[in-house]
Amino acid sequence: MGSVALRNIRKSYGPVEVLHGIDLDIQDGEFTVLVGPSGCGKSTLLRSIAGLETITGGDICIDETVINSLAPKERNIAMVFQNYALYPHMSVAKNMGFSLRLAKESPSEINRKVNAAAEILDLTNLLDRYPRQLSGGQRQRVAMGRAIVRDPKVFLFDEPLSNLDAKLRVQMRSEIKELHQRLKTTTVYVTHDQIEAMTMADRIVVMRGGQVEQIGTPLELYDRPASVFVAGFIGSPSMNFIAATARDDGLLLDTDESLGKTPVALANGRGVIAGFRPEDIRLSDTGVSAKVALIEPTGAETQLVLRTGENSIVMTTRDRISLSPGDPVHFSISEGKLHCFDAESERALSGAV
Amino acid sequence: MLRSDRLLAYAMILPVVIAVVAFVVGPTYNVATLSLTQVVMGQERGFGTLGNFRALAADPVFGLVLQNTAIWILGGTFLCVTVGLGVGTFLAIDSRMTGWLRALILLPWVLPDVVTAMAWKWMLHGQVGILGQTLQSSGLTEGTVSFLGDPDLVMWMLVIVLIWRKMPLVALILCAAIRSVPDDQLEAARMDGANAVERFRFVTLPNIAFSLTAVTVISMIWITAEFALPWIMTGGGPANASQIMATYIYQQSFEFFNWGVASAMSVINLFMLATIVALYLYVNRRSWASEESK
Ligand SMILES: Nc1ncnc2c1ncn2[C@@H]1O[C@H](COP(=O)(O)OP(=O)(O)O)[C@@H](O)[C@H]1O
Ligand SMILES: [Mg+2]
Repeated sequence: MGSVALRNIRKSYGPVEVLHGIDLDIQDGEFTVLVGPSGCGKSTLLRSIAGLETITGGDICIDETVINSLAPKERNIAMVFQNYALYPHMSVAKNMGFSLRLAKESPSEINRKVNAAAEILDLTNLLDRYPRQLSGGQRQRVAMGRAIVRDPKVFLFDEPLSNLDAKLRVQMRSEIKELHQRLKTTTVYVTHDQIEAMTMADRIVVMRGGQVEQIGTPLELYDRPASVFVAGFIGSPSMNFIAATARDDGLLLDTDESLGKTPVALANGRGVIAGFRPEDIRLSDTGVSAKVALIEPTGAETQLVLRTGENSIVMTTRDRISLSPGDPVHFSISEGKLHCFDAESERALSGAV
Repeated sequence: MLRSDRLLAYAMILPVVIAVVAFVVGPTYNVATLSLTQVVMGQERGFGTLGNFRALAADPVFGLVLQNTAIWILGGTFLCVTVGLGVGTFLAIDSRMTGWLRALILLPWVLPDVVTAMAWKWMLHGQVGILGQTLQSSGLTEGTVSFLGDPDLVMWMLVIVLIWRKMPLVALILCAAIRSVPDDQLEAARMDGANAVERFRFVTLPNIAFSLTAVTVISMIWITAEFALPWIMTGGGPANASQIMATYIYQQSFEFFNWGVASAMSVINLFMLATIVALYLYVNRRSWASEESK
């Protein structure tokens, strides 16, 4: 068991408030990813849950019990740090068994648990090594081993993969995911990388400037972003945004060309921000006229930059393209894939389905 | 080409070699030969004798000197490092007060030896010393205490003044080492359930182990070489109760003109120092080696 509930969490450093009232419910066994740009307060929130930071306001509950005033060790939470934070003077086995040793468990019991964890993480051969003798990925696994030997209610990860190279990151990503499927321990995982968030999460929490911007499953966020920020943050290459005006259930550009049907009923003449994803654009004979500015084949798909008036638009297609830069083209947006955001608040006016 | 490069290299280190030979090897050789020479009233009388060392072995004061020197070096080093570790741990706490203290604590370090020694000599004085008077007027003791006049007390008083003088730098070095212990290790230990003492014991101490050994050996060298402080404060008295190697060597050579015996003691002292330095180099080398294998 290990459900986590955050109620109106606030955190200030001196006069500066960095968390402005976070509400979040995490089910037992869920893999939740906190994602957002650097400095938006992800680590602070995670460290507050861990008990490494004292919160200024609100309640943190684990299994319906408020734990605000408990010390980290009393919360039954384990954390994996970005820089691994292994103890350099202890062997792998000692590192992993340290918490058990502090808890005065018997040496044979410690041994059993450490070996079991090492088995899961494929560390059995490395138990006698020291951290400096390990590669980045191995250190990462030891850090995870240190967390799992304690069998905690909740795992916290703070950007655990950001020090690894790209290839290893992909591999560790699936290892962590597998580990979660095996142990089913409630996990809160912090990253600034939206691909990590999309691939690993049961549920994603998008944060921005100390606030929760949107909570949802990866595909919910992708299909129905609640704001320009989320729409731009999730998905790569990111969504195209363009100023448009509503007229007779269509969205018109400055050039009076129509992008397509409005996803919601809008007052005639209302200015909005239209959004559409690169892969929802089709080249066609009719539609908005544009010029090809750039063609970037990546093999499986090709990325094109189109220019219409002042706007640059990125599109991707799996078709082979025989155009060259400067060629005039027309494009349209797949049915129902047009998003519409308020020009002022940048909140979604409705989700395209 | 290569050959002339090498000659040039030798030519360029030559001044240093000459300086070392002239100012280090020369005097050392001189002292070593002197220790094997019979000297009477400052006059050399025959080389190739172990008489000086035999005289030392027979000298009842020399036993006392060795005992005092052990208190001075071992007690002094131990207290210097433990007190320094305690003070350094405190100074490592982040606050405005510790920021100021970190600067202020160096004050004893910048005072000249002579000033320190004189100031403490008067503060500890039997009749007019402020410490004794304070103890008396507060009713803690019946009369004033002659700190430096009491043979049982005097050696420890010297050690206390020594700590006062040498500890600040030790504390600062250890403070810097403690502050460079990675925060995330300490936080990981907190998550692992370690309380403050356990964090200090299992994370901070191992992380500063190298600084700690280095500072221990360096303190030992400082203290072995310290002369002005004990000489000015007690001159080895009362009745040799605070006579240590450094002061006894000085007394033998410049008051009794027993150059031979003094040289013999210097040689013994040199061996002691060399052992300590060798220890230091060994520790240093070991930790460089472990840096490399990282
Ligand atoms: N110890 C601290 N003192 C003051 N400000 C801090 C401290 N730690 C973090 N902050 C501020 O809090 C904000 C959120 O930081 P953080 O949670 O580390 O962001 P993230 O992990 O999302 O990159 C940042 O603006 C940062 O400058
Ligand atoms: Mg962070």
